[in-house]
Parts: sequence; C-alpha cells; structure tokens
Amino acid sequence: MTQEGGVQVRGLHKAFKSWRREQPVLKGVDLDVAPGEVVGLIGPNGAGKTTLMSCLLGFLHPDEGTISIDGRANDELDVRRRTGFVPERVNFDRRETGRAFLRYMALLAGVPQSEVDARVAAMLERLGIAGAAEKRLGQYSRGMLQRVGMCQALIHEPSFIFLDEPTSGLDPNGVLLVRDLIAEQKQRGAAVLLNSHQLAEIEKVCDRVLFLSGGRITHDETLRHVDRIMVAITMLPGSFDPAAVGRIAGTPMQQNVLIASVETERDIAQLVRELVDSGAGVIDVRRHTADLEGIFRGEA
Amino acid sequence: MSGVVMVETIRRHVTNAGYLAFLGLVAIVAIAASHFDRPTAAWPTLIWLLAVITGAGPIGPEFSSGTLQLILVKPLNRATYLLSRVAGVLCVVWLTALVAFTCEVIGRAFTGAIPWQVLATALLNSMADTLLTVSLLVLLGSITRAYFNAAIYVGTQIGISVITGVLTMSHRFPAVLQAIGTIDGNLFPDRPLTFDRDYLLLAASNAAIALVLACFAFREREVPYGAD
Repeated sequence: MTQEGGVQVRGLHKAFKSWRREQPVLKGVDLDVAPGEVVGLIGPNGAGKTTLMSCLLGFLHPDEGTISIDGRANDELDVRRRTGFVPERVNFDRRETGRAFLRYMALLAGVPQSEVDARVAAMLERLGIAGAAEKRLGQYSRGMLQRVGMCQALIHEPSFIFLDEPTSGLDPNGVLLVRDLIAEQKQRGAAVLLNSHQLAEIEKVCDRVLFLSGGRITHDETLRHVDRIMVAITMLPGSFDPAAVGRIAGTPMQQNVLIASVETERDIAQLVRELVDSGAGVIDVRRHTADLEGIFRGEA
Repeated sequence: MSGVVMVETIRRHVTNAGYLAFLGLVAIVAIAASHFDRPTAAWPTLIWLLAVITGAGPIGPEFSSGTLQLILVKPLNRATYLLSRVAGVLCVVWLTALVAFTCEVIGRAFTGAIPWQVLATALLNSMADTLLTVSLLVLLGSITRAYFNAAIYVGTQIGISVITGVLTMSHRFPAVLQAIGTIDGNLFPDRPLTFDRDYLLLAASNAAIALVLACFAFREREVPYGAD
C-alpha cells in the first residue's frame, strides 16, 4: 500500500554506535499509514518502537531507508507544520502556566496570532482543563500534563499525528476523551500512529496494528476495514456442515468459528439467518478483532 | 530568526523571580559603585555572571529535560531556533547591562560629573564580552547534556589559568605556553577598560564562529526522546 498524503517508511535501519560496538535497533522497517487511518504500534520493551517514532519525527537520523510524509522528507518545514506529536511525558518549564505553554506551542506551530487565544481556550475546554489554565505546569497531575500534551499536539489541526502512550496516567474519563479525540482526528482525515502498550486501547481505536519485534515489523493485522465489518460467528460443534457454511459465507471455517467480512449490520443479520436456515446452531455472534494478546504472547 | 522564540525567551527571563532579584542586585551595585572614584567598578562582572547563568540554558539542558523534542517537531529550523534563543538571552543580558549603566549614570549625576565616555565604553565592552560568553556556552550546549556546558566553560577557564601559572613558573615549554595563551586570548579575552576596536572585533568574530559551529553541531545532533 503506498499513498500520497500519508506516512511511508521503507527499509528503515538504525543502529546506535559507540566506540566499542554497534547495536542495531531497527532492521529494515516498512510501514504505511494512510490519511484517515489509525495505526497502532505494539511490541515488547526494547523492540525499537521509540527509536522508530524518533526517526519518523526527525529526532534521529536513520542509517538506511527512506521516510516520507505526504510524499516529502519528514524534516521539511511544511511537513512539520502539519505534524503533531504527543510524547509519553510532557516536559516543559514547570513554572509556565498551562495557557502560556499552549500559546507558545500554538505560535510555534504556525497558528495565526489572531486565532491563538481562541484556539487555546477551545482546546483547554475540550480537554477539560480550562479550570487549571492559569496554574503552573508544576502543579499539574500526570493526567493533566497528558491532556496538555494532547492540546499542544492537536491545536494546529495536524494531518500527521504521532502519539506515544497518550493514555498513560489518565483516568477513565481521560481515556475516553483521548479515544474520542483520536476518532475525531481520523474523521478529519489525519494519519495517526499510536505507540502504546495498552492492547485493549489499541484494539478500540486502531484500524490496523503493527507488531514490532527485534527491530522488524513481524505482524500487520487489520482490526477493522474502513468500509467493512469483520464478524466472528461461533457455532455449536457438530451442528453444521463446514462445506455448506463455507459456501454461504464465502470463507472457510476455523474449527467452529466463522470469521466473515460484511458491508453492513443488515448483512450480519442476513448471514446469521442463512446459517440458521442451513441447520447450523449459532451460539455467539460478535464483531471480530485480531487477538492482540495472542500475537503479543507469541512474539514477545 | 524566530520572533516567537526570541520573545518567549525574553518573557520567561523577565518574569522569573530569580532574574528580577538579580536585576535589583545589579541596580544596587551600580548605584553604590557610582560613589567610587573609578567608574564601572563592579557591575560588568555581574553582567558576565548573568551571561554565564542564562547562556547555559539553551539546548543542553533542554536536551536532557526533554523539552527540545516538543520544539523540534514544530516548523522551525534548528539553526533558527538556536539563534533565536541566543538573541533572546542576549537581549536579557544587555537589558540588564543597560539598567546597570543607567543606574550608575543616575548615581553619578548626584555626586558630580558623569564620565560618559568611560561608562559607554564599559557598556560596549560588557556587551561584546557577554556576546562571546553566551556564544561559547551555546556551542558547548549544542554538543553536551544538561549544564555540562557551564561546567566545561568555567572549568576550561580555571584550567587555562592553572596551566599557564604552572608553565610560567617552570620556565619550560614556551611553545605550549604560547599556544595556551593564544587559546585563552581568543576564548576568554580580558575585557579592556578603554575603547578597543580590536577587542570588539575579536569578540564579535569569535562569537560568530562559535555560533556557526553551534548551528552545525545542533543540526547534526540526534535528539532521542527520553534522552536522559
């Protein structure tokens, strides 16, 4: 999959060198994030996720390979103007107030001076920290700093968003809020790369998930298609003819579970009706997502 | 040059309680020194000290604390950021020098004639001195972490003095002594008391070289997040 307008990485290699040895971290990473797509990045500690994010953001210089964003080099100013980044921990002058910090970030991001105050106020309101806007960052809790981090990344409505553990330290309300914000960005057409250890979170918000292990992408799982619904239908063992079910669904069975792809919810009802009519005992129907935990256990 | 970064750098300093206390101290010292026979007796040293403290701030400490990463994803060239930070710091330092100058002028206005030429020369030399100091600290900050730049800067100055003293007393290695003298004269030239065009040119040109090197080093520097 290649696209103009998204994030594209090809053959990315990165090693950390010291005078005694060279430690390869990324060993030929390929990845794509299309506009309007939310891609999760998972992997064990030391897999190279942070290094990959750092290369994408231009903090590290790759040894080999190419990174292009919207078909251009990732360090071009025009690309950066449309890039948002939420680090795992927001570090800034702790004597600054939340509002002053966001004003500075907005101005740096190229938000017109006349719009800065309104946008800052709107983001503070949206993230639920308007009441703490005049407090110093040093007085903020971890969760509040995380919200400020989201504010600074989204204030200029970027097209390419890189999130590193955006929900870490957030309370359940904050997690839901971040989930909504990611959905809004996707709706807006932004390409989002989400680095997280929280598999449940990845499963809920991502369209696709990449598993990075040993410096390589070892799995690329589609969790949901933009225009299709994946459904898992479990049938009572011995109650169905696998060949008949295969003909109805157009896809082979996996033991007593049928994983099918349909266009609408009405199609799910139709498929279940046909299966029941063929004599199959349907005992469970649910939307299907990849077994991230299984992948993680198998690979980590 | 980024006006946003420059203005923010100035704002953050002038709203800092520590800076305001220092500014008050400089003003008091300048007024007190206006009663001495010799003009500009003390405040240029304080201005140099302020240059060391504020000049140590850009890049190195930002690298270690992780604030730099938030800046580097913004549409801002690294060299532009570095030079804007330097410009902001220099504005603060020079503003303080101007306050000291003004305080001494006011103090001397009450006690007798104002030695305009001496005071203006001291202000100019102090500005050149701090330009070189801040540039060297930023160069060191662009290749080190945290406040190692200040440590290296002060350590080098002390080291050069010690080595020069030892070599002078031993009367050996005249070539080494001469080389160290040249380094000392270029990095830490003595601030003259009179107008000295050569000193001003030396400080300005060496500062420019330091800043060009700093921009180059910073451009090539890798800034992983969670660096320290």
